[in-house]
Amino acid sequence: MKVAVLLSAGRHPVSGRGALPRLEAQAIRLAAALGSARGLHAGPDADVVAEALGRGLSQIDHVALAAGADPVPALAAVLRAAAPDVVLAGRRGQGGDDTGLVPYALARALGATVIPDVVAARPGSEPGVIEVEQALPKGAARRVVARLPVVLTVHPAAPEPSAFAFGQARRGRIERLDVAAPAEPAAAAIAVAEKSYRPRPKMMRGAPAGGSAADRLKAATGGGEAAQANVMVSPEPREAARAILAYLRQIGVLAPPPGAG
Amino acid sequence: MTRARRDPRAERAAAALPGAARARFDLFARCAGGRPRRDPRMEAAAQRVDGAARLRLDRAQTGRPAAAPAPSRAEPAAPPAPKTIVMAAPAFLVAVVPDLAAGRLSPHDRQLFGAARTLAGADGGVIALAGAEGAELGPAGADRTARLAGPEGYAPDARAAAIASTMAALNLRHVIFPETPDGGDLARRVAVLAGEPLFADVEMVSAAALMRPAQGRRVEQRAAPARLITLAADAVAPYAGAPREARDEPLEPSAAPASAILAAERIPADPARTPLALADFVVSAGNGVTDLETFRAVAAALGGTPGASRVLCDAGLMPREAQVGASGTVLSATCYLALGIAGAPQHLQGVAGCEHVVAVNTDLHAAMIERAGLAIVQDAQVVMPALIEELARERGAFA
Repeated sequence: MKVAVLLSAGRHPVSGRGALPRLEAQAIRLAAALGSARGLHAGPDADVVAEALGRGLSQIDHVALAAGADPVPALAAVLRAAAPDVVLAGRRGQGGDDTGLVPYALARALGATVIPDVVAARPGSEPGVIEVEQALPKGAARRVVARLPVVLTVHPAAPEPSAFAFGQARRGRIERLDVAAPAEPAAAAIAVAEKSYRPRPKMMRGAPAGGSAADRLKAATGGGEAAQANVMVSPEPREAARAILAYLRQIGVLAPPPGAG
Repeated sequence: MTRARRDPRAERAAAALPGAARARFDLFARCAGGRPRRDPRMEAAAQRVDGAARLRLDRAQTGRPAAAPAPSRAEPAAPPAPKTIVMAAPAFLVAVVPDLAAGRLSPHDRQLFGAARTLAGADGGVIALAGAEGAELGPAGADRTARLAGPEGYAPDARAAAIASTMAALNLRHVIFPETPDGGDLARRVAVLAGEPLFADVEMVSAAALMRPAQGRRVEQRAAPARLITLAADAVAPYAGAPREARDEPLEPSAAPASAILAAERIPADPARTPLALADFVVSAGNGVTDLETFRAVAAALGGTPGASRVLCDAGLMPREAQVGASGTVLSATCYLALGIAGAPQHLQGVAGCEHVVAVNTDLHAAMIERAGLAIVQDAQVVMPALIEELARERGAFA
């Protein structure tokens, strides 16, 4: 199975220096389980993504692009030529618009299926098919069987990235590709005004507008009107157990007793 | 969002006393609209406990008159708002695509309606595009609802195609998605399908402009409202006005595109392995629990993820990953069962996001008992075996 891993010039979350995003390092690990993988980066220079060589890739293709240019036409041209079965990507970039649209736009250009939030992937039981596991909220998961080609985005709960190996990073090669990307008409961009980011306070759930500090503390610790709804003082243990089970069933976290429904 | 602008001239004119030869004003009356004036002496007198030899004050009594909303001077005696707001012919429509996980509106879904109402203004209508029927869409702020027909199961491409065709059919001015795994995925599929730019992860919404972070949160972009928007969590207040009509809007069914997804199977979470931050139901032990074997059996029997208070984790009785609270894990669970936990403020912060709390504790005055929806004042050590026995009895009665 041919695998391409999309690499982006990320930023370290603390220092702000250029670094390989963690999700893409995790993607390299997922790719290793599927078959031979190559990295693909489009941008002004490939030094930032060289770290990916130490994380398990042996080769990275670098498409030279001007800073701030739309990478999708160039990436689509390269991927159309290479025709990988699986394209792995992170969730979103960290240097441009950060909309997370690149995997979707590429999938549209390649005629592939997007499966987001993947934590595990293996070849399917028959050729031309892949079986992936998707992370869902609240710890649930979904096992999806899809026809190739697919574009997968990686979930943070995927296996840890493999450790950085210096020798491997020295041996790996970065190959520069010259792509005459067709000048596709760019999608109507939104005219934006930019300034440096100022964090805003998050809205506090349940806090009354213009309330006192005591009201806000109450909202933060959850002491609402529901308090004192139902207090049983020194009940028999059995009676208490029944009340707890009935309450848990009423709110729907515990399955009804066997034989009830 | 912004405070109403004051008009000093009008305020002064309103305070003028008629009938006097020279201009006279009752300027004190203007204060009546604002914060009521406090009378510390009266408050202290109300707090005094009678009958004690020395001075005792009951601080729970404020002695202040109950705050009544002062009628606005500018618009006296507005007629009471109609029970349900009906919008017969909205000038344009703003669509909301709630996640409706398990058929219910999450707090994030409700915030979408707040943002949609801001963008719709007085003339526009809000339409909810729901996959399943929901009775609570009207109170949440929907003027119209439309049911997206689509195949059962996991078919995000079909849903995206249905939304894209609805966008064209109803000429929607904006479509707002939640920036959640499901909603964000759907928004990007629709954006690529319709060829529209997406303004993702919006953190501030006003009728004139939206704001979103970019470049790894180093800059913020401000732009006029785009057609496709995803909204970050807890950025906008939910719709708080009178309930709306939520009239059904018939939709032409669109043909679902061919899907390359051959099978999809949902695997429920395994409570024993789920990380605490993701767990749906947490059973937690505190200092009132000494028999941890029984506690683990209770957690397994109830299908909850085991948690613990700081005391047990510090003592090495439970792993550090199990600690709930400000210095441990902040939960997002639906239900929290606290066994032998009094509820220190730091612990309650970890539980703040939980919808339901059940507390078992010997102290009637513990903070956790006050927080709980069901509170049992009893020793957790005797309630735990009773719980196991009761579950076994139910199973035995069936077998």
